[in-house]
Amino acid sequence: MVPSHSRTRGRRLMRASRTPALAAACALALTGCQGAAMSGDDAPDKGGPVRIGVIVPLTGPTSQVGTALRNGLELAVKEVNSHQGVHGRPVEYVVVDDAGDPANSTQLARRLVRQDKVTMLFGTITGDTAEAVGRVADEAHVPFGTAILGDTEHCFAYQWGFGESTRQMLTPTVPGLIEKYGTDVALVGSDYNYPHFYAGVARELVKKAGGTVVAEEYSPLGQTDWQPVIGRLKSAKPDTVLSMVVGADAVTFSKQAQQFGLLTPKLGFEGAPLDADFQPALGPLVAGRTHTVRWSDRLDDPESRGFVKDYRAAHDWKAPVPEVAGNAYFGVEFFLAAAAKAGSNDPEAVNRAIGRLSFDSPLGKGTRFHAANHVLQADMQQVTIGGDGAYNVTRNHPMVADTTPKKGCS
Amino acid sequence: MDVLLAIIGQFGLYGLLTVGIAVIFAATRVVNLAQGDLAMAGAYVAATATGAPFGIRTLLALAAGVPLLLVIERLLLRRPGSDGLAAMLVTWGLGMALRQGAELLFTGTSRTVAVPVDGTLDVLGTPYPAYRLVCALTAIAVITLVLLAAHRTDWGLRLRAVADNPPMAALLGTDPRRMRATAFTVGGLLAILAGALYSPVLAVNPSMGFGLLVPVFFGLLLSRPGSLVTAAVAALLISALSVLLRTWLSDTLAEALFYAVVVATAALRSRPWTGRFSAWFRRTPAPVGAV
Repeated sequence: MVPSHSRTRGRRLMRASRTPALAAACALALTGCQGAAMSGDDAPDKGGPVRIGVIVPLTGPTSQVGTALRNGLELAVKEVNSHQGVHGRPVEYVVVDDAGDPANSTQLARRLVRQDKVTMLFGTITGDTAEAVGRVADEAHVPFGTAILGDTEHCFAYQWGFGESTRQMLTPTVPGLIEKYGTDVALVGSDYNYPHFYAGVARELVKKAGGTVVAEEYSPLGQTDWQPVIGRLKSAKPDTVLSMVVGADAVTFSKQAQQFGLLTPKLGFEGAPLDADFQPALGPLVAGRTHTVRWSDRLDDPESRGFVKDYRAAHDWKAPVPEVAGNAYFGVEFFLAAAAKAGSNDPEAVNRAIGRLSFDSPLGKGTRFHAANHVLQADMQQVTIGGDGAYNVTRNHPMVADTTPKKGCS
Repeated sequence: MDVLLAIIGQFGLYGLLTVGIAVIFAATRVVNLAQGDLAMAGAYVAATATGAPFGIRTLLALAAGVPLLLVIERLLLRRPGSDGLAAMLVTWGLGMALRQGAELLFTGTSRTVAVPVDGTLDVLGTPYPAYRLVCALTAIAVITLVLLAAHRTDWGLRLRAVADNPPMAALLGTDPRRMRATAFTVGGLLAILAGALYSPVLAVNPSMGFGLLVPVFFGLLLSRPGSLVTAAVAALLISALSVLLRTWLSDTLAEALFYAVVVATAALRSRPWTGRFSAWFRRTPAPVGAV
């Protein structure tokens, strides 16, 4: 296994591969073609180990989630290696820290492809860093997997997401909320691309379920005072609030919504603030509410239980195991199963195999990517948040489909 | 009434921070870029020392703040104090160190502080969260005390003398070093108080103070150096502008307009004719009978 300390690894590899790297730089300068697919020199060794390039924020505001993703991936690699690797080929990984900055992500993804000669890329937390790596993956024709929830309007031919898509989150949720709380739905989000995309899908599903969107509010990231927004939301008298207010703002918004009397037990509430990341901060405010996720550490499945046990032992972990760690664990297993099916380390062959693979895991029986949108067709779980912070699975939604086509997949 | 309460609530937070930064600026001519991070430090004391009641935690944050601020001033700011830019960069570094320290100690995950006063109060027919009102009134009382101290005590007189003319104040017996240390401590304590007091309505995380710096910096920009009253008025105007714009417009548009208005005001203030115009209003009346 390659050590996960990026600096040591980076320096060692840089020294070893200076000549090909220089040659590659010269070739690029001469041709001016930065986005070319990998040349023969850049391509991974076909019979050698399967190498994964892992790009995650290990520092900065999203470092907690980044670390959880890396931890999940590490355990998956350990598990695969303990079973003879990929058809006898061991699996290695190189971890680099992008600090959540897309400029770093682009540079590091290129370095992993050209210098470390990885067969596949995995990681990133925020949408902008995922898009940055997605572009590099498309340029270099190397498959790239993400584990974080949510998707965007654009799709990349070499990018595959193991987190739930927006439609998969909302399809099983919206009709239930409308039935339980009432037809009037308000949408609120942080003001950047993803919450607007989320709201677009939510509007469509609310209408389909017979509801009405009565208010829609966005606020720039870093908002400390939500009173005006909460005032407008309150005056629309919603039965349910769907919130894509993210990061620390999710905590500030939810707390202030409760203090101003918007967030009461009579109001339906679903969205990012119910994610396990915020449970320690919001505690009683989210207890008893239901949330729809792809994977929960309380999933009663032997593989899931084994992973959770290993995760807790390896990291002395007492809190709920983050969803992103589970998605990464089973996502990497999916990628490596595709590498086994491809029979070589050629990234293009692995990418083709990923597109065709049907794989059984706790994420669902026969999970597979839809060709038109690269969304993993898999189960969703309805969880009920306990007072102790446990995300207990209370209902399984088998194979929640999302087949809406997107541009850029093929 | 809703809007008025929102303005007062916002003013409590911005006012404490702005008056604090103005006290430091008056004595040292240094913009303390760590002001928001000191507030974050105060909030973390409130979030972590959960064994004690909230009031005790706030006092604890202030008590721990005094030696910390004195040591920071003594070790980091005394030497570059003569060079404003160097000292400002030192405060920038201090802020970064505080943020990184908090991330190492408490991780980047947000924490919350339970609201010490539950329920809502009816303010002239408008229900309002009781704790927000307590926060705002406490902050206003503290700001008033600081303004009174600046205008009614010897310390305030010396502070204003140092702000107006440091060499002359030194010649007249004011120890500038001591004044700088006191001012940095008082200004820093106001930030720590703001952080601890407002922690139950905010998400406590290492970067929370950084976001507060912009409105506070604008408040300092619009105030007159050495005049803490103008700093408090600037904080009130900024709070009012922010709340009013966000009440009438969408948050995103309101924020863009807010910056445009503040920058335009600061630019107008720097024009020479604006200075002459305001000086004309502030002129000393000629003695009766003078020719």
